[in-house]
Amino acid sequence: MKKPLLLITLIVLSFNLFAHDFINPIGGRAAAMGGCSVASRGLWAMQNNPAGMAYLDKFSLGLYYENRWFLPETAYKSAALAVPVKFGCLGLSFNQFGSSKYSENKFGLAYAKDFGPYLQIGLQLDYLLINNGENYGKQSAVTFELGLQSQVTEKLRLGTYIFNPVSFKLKQTLNQEKLPIVFRFGLAYQFTKDFVGQCEIEKNTEREGVSLRGGLEYEAFKNFYLRAGLQTNPGLLTFGLGYEIRFVRIDVAAQLHQVLGASIQIGMIFSIGK
Amino acid sequence: MKRLILTIVVLSCCLFAKAQIVIDTISTEALNEVLIEQVERLADDSDEDANYNYEELLEQYIFFIDNPINLNSDDIIELLELRLISVFQCEALKKYRRYYGDFLFLEELEMVEGFDEQTLSIIAPIVYVGKDNSKDKITLSKMARYGKHQVLGRYEQILEHQQGYDPISDSALLAKPNSRYLGSPQRYQLKYTYNYRNKIRAGFVLEKDPGEMFFTDNVSDTIKALLGDKYRRGFDHIGFHLYAKDLGIVKAAALGDYQLSFGQGLTMWTGMNYGKVVTGSSVMKQGRGVAPKTSASEYSYMRGAAVTLGGGPFRGTVFYSNRMVDANITVTDTLDEAEYISSLQETGYHRTIGEILDSRAIRQQVVGGHLSFAVSHFEVGYTLHHTWLSAALLLNPSNYNQYYFQGRQLTNQGIDFKYVKGKFAFFGEGAMCFNTDSTALIQAEGLSRFAGLIGMSVKPAGYLNFTLAYRDYGKAYQNLFSNAFGEGSRNQGQRGMYLGVEVAPAPYWNIQAYADLFKFTWLTSQVYAPSWGHDYYLRLSHSFNRRTTAYLQIRSKTKMKNSTDGFVFSRYPIFYTKNSVRFNINYSVRDFHFCNKAEYAHYRNEDGSNSHGFFICQDVAYKPENKPFSLSFRYALFDTDDYDSRVYAYENDVLYSFSVPALYGKGMRMYLLGKWQIINNLTLYARIGSTIYRDRDEIGSGLTLIEGNHKTDLKVELVWKL
Repeated sequence: MKKPLLLITLIVLSFNLFAHDFINPIGGRAAAMGGCSVASRGLWAMQNNPAGMAYLDKFSLGLYYENRWFLPETAYKSAALAVPVKFGCLGLSFNQFGSSKYSENKFGLAYAKDFGPYLQIGLQLDYLLINNGENYGKQSAVTFELGLQSQVTEKLRLGTYIFNPVSFKLKQTLNQEKLPIVFRFGLAYQFTKDFVGQCEIEKNTEREGVSLRGGLEYEAFKNFYLRAGLQTNPGLLTFGLGYEIRFVRIDVAAQLHQVLGASIQIGMIFSIGK
Repeated sequence: MKRLILTIVVLSCCLFAKAQIVIDTISTEALNEVLIEQVERLADDSDEDANYNYEELLEQYIFFIDNPINLNSDDIIELLELRLISVFQCEALKKYRRYYGDFLFLEELEMVEGFDEQTLSIIAPIVYVGKDNSKDKITLSKMARYGKHQVLGRYEQILEHQQGYDPISDSALLAKPNSRYLGSPQRYQLKYTYNYRNKIRAGFVLEKDPGEMFFTDNVSDTIKALLGDKYRRGFDHIGFHLYAKDLGIVKAAALGDYQLSFGQGLTMWTGMNYGKVVTGSSVMKQGRGVAPKTSASEYSYMRGAAVTLGGGPFRGTVFYSNRMVDANITVTDTLDEAEYISSLQETGYHRTIGEILDSRAIRQQVVGGHLSFAVSHFEVGYTLHHTWLSAALLLNPSNYNQYYFQGRQLTNQGIDFKYVKGKFAFFGEGAMCFNTDSTALIQAEGLSRFAGLIGMSVKPAGYLNFTLAYRDYGKAYQNLFSNAFGEGSRNQGQRGMYLGVEVAPAPYWNIQAYADLFKFTWLTSQVYAPSWGHDYYLRLSHSFNRRTTAYLQIRSKTKMKNSTDGFVFSRYPIFYTKNSVRFNINYSVRDFHFCNKAEYAHYRNEDGSNSHGFFICQDVAYKPENKPFSLSFRYALFDTDDYDSRVYAYENDVLYSFSVPALYGKGMRMYLLGKWQIINNLTLYARIGSTIYRDRDEIGSGLTLIEGNHKTDLKVELVWKL
């Protein structure tokens, strides 16, 4: 019993080092591609770079679950709903990290718009809530995230994303703790029809250094995808599969950390419409 | 017949739209990129003592945007001087004109050997095709009617209160005279320029720096008495110039403030130095001879008169300059009325009592000349000049500066040459100094008073260009106006070898690289032994399409500095290395222009200490066509361990201005720049920039200390063109 407790303590401690975790890349595809997501399109873009959901033309619902190092206390859950409308695409999202003892929750309202084929812009307004268990109260904050994508050539797409650009603070904390600012930019390159490469760089103001990510996706058979990726700081090797059947897409990924072991991510997207 | 065929070819090219490239891209984006690259590299190098003059660099570029160069005139040499084309491209241009006559269309440039799409997009905004009218008569009425006037007014200020502006009592100020600025925190600049076909130019510039006294000040009578006749009201810096070019045998004439640049800059080169350039002709310099000095910079220029006469293959220049320069007066010997100065000040700031007392302290006179002889491919020149100071320079004795210039008089002379033919270009300059006040030590030790630079550029194929240069600047080579290629700004006590390569391995790909290995043959300040180092640079650039370009740049520079041993006498030189990697991508979508940049800097000392720095940014610019305004915005995050791992990032600014802040610590940087053309020839620029730190509650130190975690700068500029 002692060992897992120690491990949990260590991990929670290491999380403190990582500060808040509201802005982890979400989705089975991103998880399998080393976390690369800033130049991706699709429903999960709402959480990773809202500009990427601008072109969505189907009513979509997504569910995502991440089990870090097989510890239920570090579970990461996410849900998103996208509603394409005449003037763009609207979305609702919810993220939760942690357990009943400590959890970080994010509620988002997103909007993205397509300005021709070359430019998409997205915005998400967030309400953040940290729940410190029974005795330590709650902290909340309001912030927003901005994203931009541009399909500059047929093969190359660029993306930029900023979370909390004006550095909002967490209320109800002792010294008005600052929320991290997270800045990502990267590109997706369509080498061939069935082969995509992505890379991106992320700076989180509450972490030392920057994180570099790279990922590859290969459509081995129709609607069946093989993925692999790499991330530095923290170093992760990632793998995954994706399969699409009619209106359901399932993405599964595994991330390996040399000390902490493996994490599993599962995402499902249901799309209804045309 | 040739001409006819050519015209048909050009017209058909236009029809098939390939040649539309030039027309399409008469935007200054590409040119701007070149400029940014140059300024950032210069900023990177400025960690030593070099006071690079970006403003002057900018003025030169912007001047030609407003007053483009006629491709059919001899002014194309200016493109070479601006480092926008290589010496081979310049030769190819001349050759093309010799074979086919004058240019009829700008599109013809595409058929000139060595002019690729990239070069075209860079130079397109500053060239035009017209009749070579440089021989036309100049009359006063034409000058009045066709001359261009420009008036520029600029205000800038740091909005937060800085400690140097705190109120202080007289007694406290007298006790610590340099603890306050005497003036206000604003900077004002007013500039007027006149230009008639780039041949007749005139203008003046007035400037007040932050902290300098202006028309009003709150200086008490006691302080006024202390300052004596150094107490002045109004603009601190006043400059003017009159300049004419290509009037018969008078090739150039200047009155007022001017710049001189001859040969390779070893003997006489005031103003701008481009540093280690890779593009185009690399190290080889193309002096502009006598040129007007239009910027507000307060150092490294001449004030007086100069004239260049030319006939046949000969050209001769004589110049005289007489101006008061800032210096630190140490001893005034009342008995023999001898004055000594301990240093020449170059900052141009006159803000504190100490700085004001040093201002315009001594008279500097320079007289000299340059004679050159040029035949088709070969050019040789000789420069001679003599400098007098009204007070003898007596440096604070130290080991490192014992061979530096001291005394009252200095004579320099040098011979330069250039030979450009076919695939080869050779260049060089040899120079020496005579210092009659020279210390006995230099003579006794027989130290070298010579300096030499020799190099060659070769272009074995259209896509490949490399340059090799060797320099050896003697330990006792003294020159107050030397500004030749080298590491650091001092052309003294240095040996070095440079190899630069530019390759276009595939269409839309370009590689630039150089390696510079250098050795300082004598001590330098903060390095207590002869030292050496190297500087490596690699830049890989690619254009995905006309709207999207990216580059990856890697630089590694190793030099030596003293170890930080607590006891001064046990310090010894150790190596330190600064590595940096930068990725940059520019793309545009209709009227929007975007840029992303990420940089990693790593600083390592031989004794094992390390530091890291990061920078990441997003730029968005909105430049609608046919609208009188444009906006640009940047959002950047930076995170560096210390000052050593700092990052420089060029920021767009109001016209003729620049900012390359050194970012260190943790925080974010934002700016918003707006341009609004109010009426046809009146344009307003405004810019607000802010740095917000996450790791500190006070910024800066000493007089510039700000209490708080943010620093905001504001600039407003009005430009009126007639």
